[in-house]
Amino acid sequence: MSEATTNIIEARNLRKTYRMGRVRVNVLKGVDLSVREGEWLCVLGASGSGKSTMLHLLGGLDRPDRAGADGGGPGSITYGGKDLRKISAGELNRYRNREVGFVFQFYHLLPELRVLENVTIGAMIRHGRFGYRGAAKREAIDSARELLTAFGLADRLRHRPTELSGGERQRVAIARALVNRPRILLADEPTGNLDRVTGESIIETLAETRERLGLTVVMVTHDERIAARAERVVRLRDGVLARDGFAGAATAGGA
Amino acid sequence: MYQALLTRKYLTSKVMPVLAMLAVTLSVGTVLVTWSVMGGFLETLLSTGRKLVGDVTVTWPTIGFAHYDDLIERLEADPEIEGAAPIIETFGLVTFPDDSVRFAQFKGVEGESFARVTGYDDSLWWRPLDEPTAKDSEAQDPRLGDETGYTDTQGRERRWGWDQLLRDGMTLTDEGRPAAVIGIAAGGFSRRTSAGIYVPQAAIQRGAAGGATTLYEFLPHSDVTISVVPIDSTGRPRGEFGLSTQTVPVANEFFTGLYEADSQAVLVNLDLLQEMLDMDEARRVEAGAGGAVVNPETGELELRGFEDMGIDPERVTSVLVRGKSASSREQAVALKSRVEEIYASFAADHAGEVPSPERIFVLTWREINATMIAAVEKETGLVLFVFGLVCFTTVFLVLAIFWSMVSEKTKDIGILRSVGASTLGVAWLWLRYGVAIGVVGSGLGTLGAWAVIANINEIHEWLGNDFGPWLSKVLTSVSSMFGGGKIEVNLIIWDPAVYAFTTIPTDMDWVKVSVVVSMGVLTCLLGAALPAYRAGRMDPVKALRFE
Ligand SMILES: Nc1ncnc2c1ncn2[C@@H]1O[C@H](COP(=O)(O)OP(=O)(O)OP(=O)(O)O)[C@@H](O)[C@H]1O
Ligand SMILES: [Mg+2]
Repeated sequence: MSEATTNIIEARNLRKTYRMGRVRVNVLKGVDLSVREGEWLCVLGASGSGKSTMLHLLGGLDRPDRAGADGGGPGSITYGGKDLRKISAGELNRYRNREVGFVFQFYHLLPELRVLENVTIGAMIRHGRFGYRGAAKREAIDSARELLTAFGLADRLRHRPTELSGGERQRVAIARALVNRPRILLADEPTGNLDRVTGESIIETLAETRERLGLTVVMVTHDERIAARAERVVRLRDGVLARDGFAGAATAGGA
Repeated sequence: MYQALLTRKYLTSKVMPVLAMLAVTLSVGTVLVTWSVMGGFLETLLSTGRKLVGDVTVTWPTIGFAHYDDLIERLEADPEIEGAAPIIETFGLVTFPDDSVRFAQFKGVEGESFARVTGYDDSLWWRPLDEPTAKDSEAQDPRLGDETGYTDTQGRERRWGWDQLLRDGMTLTDEGRPAAVIGIAAGGFSRRTSAGIYVPQAAIQRGAAGGATTLYEFLPHSDVTISVVPIDSTGRPRGEFGLSTQTVPVANEFFTGLYEADSQAVLVNLDLLQEMLDMDEARRVEAGAGGAVVNPETGELELRGFEDMGIDPERVTSVLVRGKSASSREQAVALKSRVEEIYASFAADHAGEVPSPERIFVLTWREINATMIAAVEKETGLVLFVFGLVCFTTVFLVLAIFWSMVSEKTKDIGILRSVGASTLGVAWLWLRYGVAIGVVGSGLGTLGAWAVIANINEIHEWLGNDFGPWLSKVLTSVSSMFGGGKIEVNLIIWDPAVYAFTTIPTDMDWVKVSVVVSMGVLTCLLGAALPAYRAGRMDPVKALRFE
């Protein structure tokens, strides 16, 4: 799987600048990144280096700068032969809904919804106002159940997020990200808020799921040990990726 | 889909939306109750304006017109017309048994036809009564007894049964004498109580020397003196001293609820008024060469040398018409043009003897009461304007609540966007939420309003009899703590002593409910619009980073 040659998503010359009044913060200064189909990529970087920003750009949640402030041309994010910068807002919504799944450090579950509802929300959005019924609804619920059962949450379907532990919440969040069977999972420090043991079990869950579903995973972390589980590690430093190579070569112990 | 789910969840798990809903419920409820009561009140006012008037009136004022019997016959032959009645309208003076003199608007009517056209029989006050009226909890209505009467100034006792009075009122006679039926508020011989009934009260007769005698008079079957100004067919008052005066018995009193009518109108037997006004049938003569001569054979005075100009037929000033269905404005207008057609053919057959169709006044009751109806409509407009303001404040309330809820739910918005929700989808979530609050709030408001309106009389009574005095007591004791005086709170808003109705009229219909409910929903939609726009436009990344 790690030898796959096709790139599922490709970022070229990604730039992101935040303006705060007159001060400009150049967070990403021309990131080049190719993610191969089915690989597990880990992005390492210090706090504030722009890891989350990069992930948001890859996931179509944010848009990169139009043209580089330092003279470089406009960057691109190519997925499925299309530049995310050029597709319509509607297509971008569909991209977030079906092609990628987000997992965040702070779980970000909807507190009013029960576990099953939290997981199926992506399917509800996918099928729209009148489509989420009958077969579509059954399929979504089955998919959610299956994921939650795999994550050991089969008997927690009717619970609210506040009634779950941190690790359980993060598993619910992963199930939510996967309910529409996306091809890429974007995980932003999924263990950052958990103790070591729980964090490792989450990584274990991610690894198993990736294996089972053939997912591409892009995971952001500043924890070297977690990065060691990935197939490939890249480092974000001073707004650019320092290395785009195989983790196995740099760090001991591949997947 | 997710919008429906989240709307439901937000509705049931948050206090804020309950507050917004409460605001909508309260304003919808208040508006509905006010509008319904106001509507009922105005409707009552309008319908009292219709009493003693037909749907359409054919009028030739003051002088009157002849051959009205023929006109009535023609009108009544029309399938759209229920009936027609002759009436003379004039003005003059009434002298009551206590020697007080009042200005009066006289209406000469035939009881039977007048009742058919105007429902006059329902306005007759003195009649047998089996049950006390709604507010008359102590059954003090004199009509509940078997009979009534009075002791006149000479100390003579006179008594009648109530059904006798009702019959006399209908025929406008008293023991065969032509009689009058007077507006109940005109003479001041009866006082309206807070139970909404009339009780006879003592009247004071003032003497020229300054003395005063207290009379206990029950007006029916006492005598009053009426004075009118006869007008001849050329429109001039007859003779030098124009008054024509007669003493007539009072057959009954009427009550319409329209103060102007109840205090000034006097119904008089048509034949009598015709006679007094010289509007009855008469032989018209013109002075020729002769003069008054005694017939040697009969010994009677005869007019000689006068030229007989024929019969001058009896006249009335108006014919009142009642349509089979003329409740709506359009139906009344249709009836009016029907009446105009009939009058035109009538006038053609009596050419030169009756006013021409172009000159005669044919008016609907709305046209006759235009001033009052305009006032009523203005009041309705005012009420609706106040409603608008109430709704407007609710818009801001909902806006404030939604604004803070969108802020509170910023992270949820970021999450939804991250799983693919669109800008519009998120905006719709909040709009929909607004609609849900509007629908539920308006629904509850409608239910509440219905409950209040169904019990409005009990609530009104409780406010007036229990809560008002209690509040007065509390306020007085508070005020006395600060050295203040007594505080009276009177919560009786509709005192039957003042208003014509004993139970509060309400008029809550589906039109009002749908208008107010849609206003309530629209209010929420308007209040939610700006927060929804803000929610939709929110940057998902910032929303996710929001703490
Ligand atoms: N909306 C914003 N306006 C201004 N600056 C921002 C904004 N969002 C992020 N930044 C800045 O961009 C930089 C990168 O932020 P980002 O969250 O991507 O870092 P990170 O690598 O994910 O850090 P961490 O490991 O702490 O999560 C930070 O210096 C941050 O202050
Ligand atoms: Mg981060």
